[in-house]
Amino acid sequence: MADNKAQENWQPKIVAFVCNWCTYAGADLAGISRIQYPPNVRLVRLPCSGRVNPFYVVKALQEGADGVLVSGCHPGECHYITGNLSARRKFAMLKSFLSYLGIEPDRTIFTWVSASEGEKFAHVIRGVTEKIKALGPAKKLVKSYE
Amino acid sequence: MSIEKRLQEKAVELLSEKKVDVVVGYEAGTLPYQAAPCFIENPDDEGRLVLNPFCSVNLAKYVHDILMAHKASQKRMKPEQRTKKVVGVVARGCTTRSLVIHLQERQYERDQIFIIGVPCRGYVSKKKLAAAAGGKEITACAIINDRLSFTTPDGTKEIPLESVLAESCLSCRYNNPVISDVMVGDPAPPMKPDSEYADVDAFEAMSGEERWNYFAEEMKKCIRCYACRNTCPSCYCKVCFVEQSQPRWVGVSVDESDTQAFQIMRLFHMAGRCVDCGSCVDVCPMGVDLRKFLKKLDKDGYNLFAHRAGEKMEQQPPLSVHSMDDKDEFIYEP
Repeated sequence: MADNKAQENWQPKIVAFVCNWCTYAGADLAGISRIQYPPNVRLVRLPCSGRVNPFYVVKALQEGADGVLVSGCHPGECHYITGNLSARRKFAMLKSFLSYLGIEPDRTIFTWVSASEGEKFAHVIRGVTEKIKALGPAKKLVKSYE
Repeated sequence: MSIEKRLQEKAVELLSEKKVDVVVGYEAGTLPYQAAPCFIENPDDEGRLVLNPFCSVNLAKYVHDILMAHKASQKRMKPEQRTKKVVGVVARGCTTRSLVIHLQERQYERDQIFIIGVPCRGYVSKKKLAAAAGGKEITACAIINDRLSFTTPDGTKEIPLESVLAESCLSCRYNNPVISDVMVGDPAPPMKPDSEYADVDAFEAMSGEERWNYFAEEMKKCIRCYACRNTCPSCYCKVCFVEQSQPRWVGVSVDESDTQAFQIMRLFHMAGRCVDCGSCVDVCPMGVDLRKFLKKLDKDGYNLFAHRAGEKMEQQPPLSVHSMDDKDEFIYEP
């Protein structure tokens, strides 16, 4: 009974690694434009999406995140010229590899949001939250602290 | 003249002409079905060198170790007293590919290594051999052409050599050196590279739950001895992430997820860098099926970026370069 109730009120925890120059500014714009989006996402600001070590994603999943979102500048618009391009290669392999191991593909999501796309940022967060809610709580690779 | 004899002569020639300071090769191990790495510095020791299907370990690891130790020792020297060390290495196809990766990653210069290329027809998997012997102690072992005979307390048995070759050798694409300074022996006939991804394809056809259960079961075997990391030529970080403590990356508790996270990250570090030499599988004391996961990275590297690790000097590792036209179907666009 208590379990069912917990299930009913379950809200996903989503960790978002966002780049300082585009997506973080996009999130800021969504905020100052007072666009509503689900509060399930925790933003971690990084200099660039290229700064995201694949281990951050794995570690977040292990530490109990139900989903991980990585977002940076659109290709060709990176503040560091090509940081997001090298990130794209890393993530292509990481996502494919984690899916191969059996972790649901929707747990790790990669996208691009620019600084002017406040509405798109809110839309992405809505979409991601929806996807993770459909999957339910993460069970694989999660560390238990009991 | 046997290839072993020619190899020994070559080693003597290189050492006495002072072309190399040390030759890294294989010597007979302490067990009849083993070969151990050996380091020949004196031309008189050349008789120790052997070359047979029991030579399993990838020697590129030792080349890297020697050259890094030498580099560290030179730091304390005055510039005019510094010396150059040249390492000769007996290299099969997979070893040369590992050397190419080291060179691409600027670990040492091309003139610091002298590659004695040898053809390879696969090495014997100790686990398959132990299974063939039914777990009994093998007291003698010999290879004649394509047959392997071994003696256990139950008697002598003869089996086809191919039945005990390592999985990575059976579907090897590069059983002849991709680069070499000198080639000893004639090129070996090709193996069966067309079936190299058969294992991965079969695994991909399973459901996500089944795949995860398989992975979790395999990882339960892992005792985190780090033998796979220690033997891997591509694992050469000065401080490995598993030993970093500030911050501590991977927990060391008995929780299964710690081992899983360790393995996921070690495997992922091999993206575009694994040459499928099978050393990690060979040394694993628990028989974890690492190859199934490593081969997937190899397959992705080829499918996404048309790259095979260590194939060509000119081709940069897939995660070191990028292009505007890279595939991006996986990017989420709501």
